[in-house]
Amino acid sequence: MPDKTITYEGLTPGYKFPPAVYELGASFVSKYLKAVDSVDDGFVPPLAITACAVAAMTKSVPLPPGTIAIHASQELEFFKLVPIGDTIECHIGVAQKIARGKMSMLILEIEVFDKSREKVQSGRATIALPT
Amino acid sequence: MLTEIQEGKALNPVVRHITQEKINLYAEASGDFNPIHVDESFAANTPLGGTIAHGMLNLAYVSEMMTSAFGRSWLSGGKLRAKFKEPARPGDTLTINGKIDCVEQKDDVPYANCSFECRNQRGEIIVTGEAIIKLSSDKR
Repeated sequence: MPDKTITYEGLTPGYKFPPAVYELGASFVSKYLKAVDSVDDGFVPPLAITACAVAAMTKSVPLPPGTIAIHASQELEFFKLVPIGDTIECHIGVAQKIARGKMSMLILEIEVFDKSREKVQSGRATIALPT
Repeated sequence: MLTEIQEGKALNPVVRHITQEKINLYAEASGDFNPIHVDESFAANTPLGGTIAHGMLNLAYVSEMMTSAFGRSWLSGGKLRAKFKEPARPGDTLTINGKIDCVEQKDDVPYANCSFECRNQRGEIIVTGEAIIKLSSDKR
């Protein structure tokens, strides 16, 4: 869930957003597969899990008024498959915040765990914010 | 899946056409309704000049190519690093190509190092990156 009390200016390296929980049911997987033109392999596609994490990130980051966020780069590592119907928890934190001229860059760390608290995937996203 | 893992081997390309409908479907599935993806009038008034596909939608096609080549080795032991160079827009046709750059052993475990790129119909690079796959014994 987004933290409504934090502002973009208040984001500093080390800040952790409140975790976001997603239930990866058959309906979600079916919608995702339709969106990406793919087929059901009997488990949740890892990029569907990342999609949840990135959506959580998008909802969590409080953008300065009038700015748009552009996904500039993404690193990912997959550790285990997640069965359909499982629940995941996405943890997102601020790794770096960089200001370069008219461009701000926010580097976020993502970790996703399954219901047994095992790490499913981790990654790092760079978000560019032209001002 | 690939029948043999060898350096220089090209992965089977993936070709996908981007439409606003697909972008909207992706937004619904992922819950990412950033207006730059789904609000055409909002997006038209930004420096991007119109809606763009989610970067993760483009990356899903890369993952599909890797899954097709490496199966579960990719899904539970893959690693990637991608840069989104240009936005993909409704009407674009994306072609994702990749190849195995090298196969190396680390602590007696074989890894395939791949490079990939996603281009639009004008040949512009949309996404570029590298992937590493820990190969299971049946893929050696």
